[in-house]
Amino acid sequence: MGTTELLQFALAGLKNGSIYALVALGFTLVYAATGAINFAQGEFYMLGGMLSVWAYANLGLPLPLAGLVGVISTAIIGGVFELLAIRPRKDGDPLAIIIITVGGSMLLSSMARHQFGPTERSLPLFSGGGSINIFGAVLEVQTIWILGITGVAVVGLWYLYNRTGLGRAMRACAVDRDAARIVGIDTRKMVTVSFVLAATLGALAGMAVTPLTQTAFDVGPTVGIKGFAAAILGGLGNPIAAVVGGLVLGMLESMSIAFISSTYKDAIALIVLLGVLFVRPQGIMGRSKREKV
Amino acid sequence: MRRTVTCAALCVVLSATLLGGCASQPDEDAPDSYRIGAVLSLSGPQAGLGEPERRAIELEVERINDAGGVHGRPVEVLFEDDATDEAKAVTAASRLIEQENVIALIAASGTGQTMAVRQEVERAGIPQMSLAGGSVVTAELSPWVFQTPWPNRIVVPFTLAYLRDAGVMRLGLLIDSGAYGKDGYDVITANVEQYGIEIVADEQFNRGDTDMTSQITKIRAANPDALLLWAAGAEAATVLKNNAALGGDSPLQVYGGPGNGRIELLEGAGDAAEGFTFSAGKILIPEAYGVGSEGYEVTTDFIDRFTERYGVGPDIFAGHAYDGIHLIVDAMKRLPEDFTPEDLRDEIEKTSGFVGAGGTFTFSPTDHNGLSEDDLTMYRVEDGVWVLAGEAR
Repeated sequence: MGTTELLQFALAGLKNGSIYALVALGFTLVYAATGAINFAQGEFYMLGGMLSVWAYANLGLPLPLAGLVGVISTAIIGGVFELLAIRPRKDGDPLAIIIITVGGSMLLSSMARHQFGPTERSLPLFSGGGSINIFGAVLEVQTIWILGITGVAVVGLWYLYNRTGLGRAMRACAVDRDAARIVGIDTRKMVTVSFVLAATLGALAGMAVTPLTQTAFDVGPTVGIKGFAAAILGGLGNPIAAVVGGLVLGMLESMSIAFISSTYKDAIALIVLLGVLFVRPQGIMGRSKREKV
Repeated sequence: MRRTVTCAALCVVLSATLLGGCASQPDEDAPDSYRIGAVLSLSGPQAGLGEPERRAIELEVERINDAGGVHGRPVEVLFEDDATDEAKAVTAASRLIEQENVIALIAASGTGQTMAVRQEVERAGIPQMSLAGGSVVTAELSPWVFQTPWPNRIVVPFTLAYLRDAGVMRLGLLIDSGAYGKDGYDVITANVEQYGIEIVADEQFNRGDTDMTSQITKIRAANPDALLLWAAGAEAATVLKNNAALGGDSPLQVYGGPGNGRIELLEGAGDAAEGFTFSAGKILIPEAYGVGSEGYEVTTDFIDRFTERYGVGPDIFAGHAYDGIHLIVDAMKRLPEDFTPEDLRDEIEKTSGFVGAGGTFTFSPTDHNGLSEDDLTMYRVEDGVWVLAGEAR
């Protein structure tokens, strides 16, 4: 196998990996705030793409505006979902929240099917077709958009977490919810914010990927599972770990195809996931439970 | 924007009501109607198949009844949604059989669901008309089960013959890991040799995969003359785009099958679809039957009425449903007024030279599909629409 091909496999892994990373970030944010896994995360990905298509095709908005509408509407749906479905569960029992999000996931995809129909819909490429050549390997221009959006999202999250009061409050909430409440942090608000942010990240991924893959009401669960695996692999609750997990998972899949077989790519990725968790149950970058802010 | 939010909020509240709306009510006023059950995938991953199928059946049943029904009695089709789930298909079929006493069953949209309900129809002894394209449906022959789409065992040899004529000797194969792709894979690998074609690379992808660059990179490394894509889902558009991006000035020529005859593929792949060549029935361009021929008349009539009613043209799946309902009704008309489901099965099997949207059906005790390679043609995408590909160059 030549270096060009190896580079091509690496680029493909990087592309898929950054998609997984964006979805994984959403899992990690909600986990940090609630201690629960949000199984509706894949649906935010679906809605981001679907609502962008809707704004573009049905409302006739220009593409950048349509993308913005898609992401913001999904963010609002994420917030409304939290207010209507998660918040009424007052004790915040993680198991109950997980079940609620599973129901929410079914609800959102059924709604999307009723609203937008069963077939896949497409969105034009952000800056036209074409690709750039890197030492003989090919990188689609849209992939640069995906990588860029992931980069901006990670930097933005880092800034939010480390440089703003809201971010510090969210981190405090993640470490110890009761203690955070005692020092006057509105922990309920933090949960809502985490859902809005998770929906935004999922929607950004969905919006950026749709020009390449199209979208349909049922794309959520597959991507959701991959993002979840990435979040676990990296270490739940830590944004940087989610990104690392996503990239590692994408790269694993691509290299499985390169060196073994596409038939087993998902199986191989999951076996490595299990192997990592066996050695490091907290994930590649996860730290043990006690931590100070 | 505001509409989205309002709508989302409304939907949250109303969804319970909305979601429950699929069951059909028996019509108490028409006890004398002939009842046919239809188990289709109206939701779930194959909803894109089930929905046009339901539309075609409703359109045709209405026309049949407007023309006086069968033996002066109306035909009534009771729809059930299997949600693309085999267990739900079985439940739906047994409900239609036990409680609604249907005389025939149109089932189902997918190969998995079709096979799952087989035991129900065999036990009840009623004919089943499948709209699914898996070879297994009629290769594993059941006296009760008929099939309207062109199965892989007819389409694959037809496609391979075209590839041979186009000078393809080294073939890269890319299939989806679902039932349709697997079925195609088995037929393809069993047949390539007799067309002098060698498979130099074979790769898979899963439903919902976002990128197939790695698979195509690996296939390209094996230096094939062309790529044969056997997949029915949305991922086909991604494959074409990845292939175009990787190929630059010299992308691999991609060939495909009937699952790719979808307008969504053209929309999704855009320029990357140019030159994509696939085999399918003649319903996509009825002129392929020959202008003025019976097939041409039947198909254009159906296309016109469907388009007028629903605002979009019928796809191949709507065509399969058209054939399904008419094959049943046609046999019913040939029988005397009082017939049993068993008589109906025998009569469907005697169908000979029935011209439908998907081709000319001639069933026999050993052939419950009844189509042949003559009912297929090759299409090529040019300037964003599919045109008849003509002879291989």
